[in-house]
Amino acid sequence: MARPHIEPFVDRAVPFKKMALPGFPRGMHYKMLSLDTDTGACSMTVMFEPGYELPPGMSYSEMELFVMTGYIEMEGKQHGPGSYICLPAGVHLPAMKMPRGITGLLFYNYGEPSFVESDADHPLAERHKMVKVNAYDDLQWSATNFFPATAPGCMVKILKFDERTQAFTFMYCMTPNFWQDNISYHDCAEEAYHIWGTSWMMQFGELPTGGYFYRPPYINHGAFRCKLGTLAIGRTDSQLYNHFHFNPWSTLAENRERAGARLLAWKPDLYQWVATGDHNHPADFEFPHAHYNEKGERIFHHHEGGELDHNHGRSRQSTAGKRRRGK
Amino acid sequence: MPDLIKHQRSREAQSWLKKEIAEQKVRFRKIEHEMNVVIARQRDKWFDEFLERIQTRGYHVHFNMMRKIKPEEIPKKPKRRTKVVY
Repeated sequence: MARPHIEPFVDRAVPFKKMALPGFPRGMHYKMLSLDTDTGACSMTVMFEPGYELPPGMSYSEMELFVMTGYIEMEGKQHGPGSYICLPAGVHLPAMKMPRGITGLLFYNYGEPSFVESDADHPLAERHKMVKVNAYDDLQWSATNFFPATAPGCMVKILKFDERTQAFTFMYCMTPNFWQDNISYHDCAEEAYHIWGTSWMMQFGELPTGGYFYRPPYINHGAFRCKLGTLAIGRTDSQLYNHFHFNPWSTLAENRERAGARLLAWKPDLYQWVATGDHNHPADFEFPHAHYNEKGERIFHHHEGGELDHNHGRSRQSTAGKRRRGK
Repeated sequence: MPDLIKHQRSREAQSWLKKEIAEQKVRFRKIEHEMNVVIARQRDKWFDEFLERIQTRGYHVHFNMMRKIKPEEIPKKPKRRTKVVY
């Protein structure tokens, strides 16, 4: 994912622009929050004018929509503030109207924004992965249950969780007078948007309502403070682990090296196997289609050095694994 | 399990992307300067205050578990310029 470190950016400082991409009816406006320069994946604040209508259709990319104000009418039901939908690539939605318009957040996760009129799913669409929930009415706050956890007063609601990558989308809040005295970084990229309220981070100062950040891995953030409370939406692109410490001057490279050293200390056998194997992308038997799709077509998967186009041969087992098995 | 359905990117989409990427570069440079240069002095004060607090009130290890950091554990400020936006 090639997005720059955007932190902080306050969308109130810029005007809306008209969305002119093909497929989108007139009346949609956006503010670009961050954009992947390789794939076109992006996060945007959006505004749809009163009376906006969208025919049945789908996106080429997985997308997420969060409604901040107004409501969407779809199949006779109203989806108001707090409504969240994660729409897998190729899954179509029925026609929708926005009688009073809406403002919201729109995320296209793997490609540029797209809308294709369709009243049926694409043949490759995975409808079972769709998530539709109202974050305000259907879910209740809980403390963060990772270890180590954020200080008391930072609560979450999980909207979407990816079983394979542990990437997740969540609502979070900081209660009035929240404070946390440590510095954090993660192995994942993290982004967040302040739906309401101001919080403070030691590196960047205050982030008010409409404030946003996209932060690549291993970048320090914290200590944290919030005077009057904050409501926000957050996302990660893989597993979030809180690497807490108290050195304000550690660099991205030092943080990453520390994470690597911790991995060696915590999972020495796994670390050695992955690090010394000459075929260093272990396959997950629960997700064999990380290499091949259901049609048997080879799909994108990561290799050291970026080499993608190669033949695995008959066996995908690493030679390091063979050495361990005494072969 | 496609996250992205293969398709031909239109010329309009290509042109839109090019424009948005250029605008993002300008936005990033402004943020980078503001964060790494303009507020650097203020941030040094915030760092000093943090290092004082973790020796008196404590450092958050996990949730509400805190410990007081000893003076000899406090890191020394390196000579290099502090960078917070990368």
